[in-house]
Amino acid sequence: MPKGIMDNRIVAGIIVAAAVGAAILAVIRLDIFGRTEVPVQYQYKLDQIAEVDPNLILYSELPRQIETGFRQARGVAIDANGSVFVAGDSRISVFDLAGQRVKTIDVPAGPQCLALAEDGTIYVGTKDHVEVYDAAGQQAGVWPTVGPEAFVTSIALGKDDVFVADAGRRTVLRFDRQGKAMGRIGDKDPNRGTEGFVVPSPHFDLAMAPDGLLRVVNPGRHRIEAYTTDGQLEVSWGRFGSDVEGFTGCCNPVSLAMLPDGGFVTAEKGVVRVKVFGPDGRFVGVVAGPRQLIGSAGEVCQTVDQCQNSGFDVAADRQGRVYVLDTQRNIVRIFEKKSKPA
Amino acid sequence: MNEKSQSLTRRGFLTEALWGTCLAGLGGLAGMAGARSRRNRTVWQIDPAKCVACGRCATNCVLQQSAVKCVHTFAMCGYCRICFGFFEPQPHALHEGAENQLCPMGALGRRFVEDPYYEYTVDEAMCIGCGKCVKGCNAFGNGSLHLQVRHDRCVNCNVCSIADACPSGAFRRVPADHPYLFKGGHT
Repeated sequence: MPKGIMDNRIVAGIIVAAAVGAAILAVIRLDIFGRTEVPVQYQYKLDQIAEVDPNLILYSELPRQIETGFRQARGVAIDANGSVFVAGDSRISVFDLAGQRVKTIDVPAGPQCLALAEDGTIYVGTKDHVEVYDAAGQQAGVWPTVGPEAFVTSIALGKDDVFVADAGRRTVLRFDRQGKAMGRIGDKDPNRGTEGFVVPSPHFDLAMAPDGLLRVVNPGRHRIEAYTTDGQLEVSWGRFGSDVEGFTGCCNPVSLAMLPDGGFVTAEKGVVRVKVFGPDGRFVGVVAGPRQLIGSAGEVCQTVDQCQNSGFDVAADRQGRVYVLDTQRNIVRIFEKKSKPA
Repeated sequence: MNEKSQSLTRRGFLTEALWGTCLAGLGGLAGMAGARSRRNRTVWQIDPAKCVACGRCATNCVLQQSAVKCVHTFAMCGYCRICFGFFEPQPHALHEGAENQLCPMGALGRRFVEDPYYEYTVDEAMCIGCGKCVKGCNAFGNGSLHLQVRHDRCVNCNVCSIADACPSGAFRRVPADHPYLFKGGHT
């Protein structure tokens, strides 16, 4: 080959090699797969407060789970026969002891919560009012709206009363069984020694206890308050704490249910766990911790939807089984107390 | 004869190279004009519904201090006394001491309003966009804190290096005249 002549193939080879090298460098430098490790000071981990001592877990989960079929389930209740009522989307679904759907009740206004009377009457809380359905699922009444900016989140039944928790206006409303307004409970009143409810999010639960006192969760103050039916604050228990006995986060617990022995079941969001307390508010143990409920103790949630749907609802049946409505997966999980070793 | 037609003389190589350079330059100019036109119409922004606050907004921006900042939709906030966007998961005490704060830069301010409510504000000059507060607020609170690209800082790269690293695909192009995707529906 004459001097000064360059082969086409060599030139092409040099250009291609340079292009491949530049591409490799770009891939490495740009980290297009997002594998750059985030410095530890920017990582948010909850391992230390989310891990639960296995000795404190007193319940085991039953194999059967109830698939609600909802896009968004919101509330669960158990009737005297053990049937499971789940409110979500625009209906209420009723499941038998085997987990089979036996009835559907349409609630076009969108049910947020429900309470079941002994005679089978169903009191359904929608965003701003209560609807009543009979045992056959027929609508028996629609109560007037409870007020502007209302957000009904829970209903509890007394002997002759219906108590409605309104998270939007941070108050508990008392009605008779026909829907006549009888008063309000828990509003800020220095004369009665009530500080008022602190409800930063739409999680505001209540339950009627066997002792006749209405138990109301005050989530922003991390405690459960006991009121007489005419609104007198009798006692309260609960505290903020990062330990397993306390309620962590800005506003917990999000749900409350009564056990047959007068004890309480609570559910928390953030550190998603379900715990049991005695009738006097003494910590008894854990039904399920974050590992059992969401599969992880460190990373509690990823997307906004997951995080905002981590406020599970709880209920209990007459045998003391705890029902947890998983609002992320829209299933009902059932937990039974472990039998003590002989 | 065949060898002569296949081989490239020095003059020929230089001529070809000059043509190639001119063509590449024309192509580059056309690309720049197109990109600038596109940049003038759209900007980068984070969709807060997809953001998982992974921390890469703080580490991957081409700028020394990230153009991503935390913003606060006050209408969604609970004004909690114990805000887990502000406090560490295990605070030593419930006051504003640095050892209790979640933010590694101390960029969140806490101001007493009335019992038991506190207001939380973001000091953008201090914020590096790591998203720890967003994680805490989403997990425990109402999710009022979220990350947004600030367009008084962002240089609107053609290929955003944070967008490339984002594990949840939260970055997208939005119209430059509606450059923000604030929670609560405001743009």
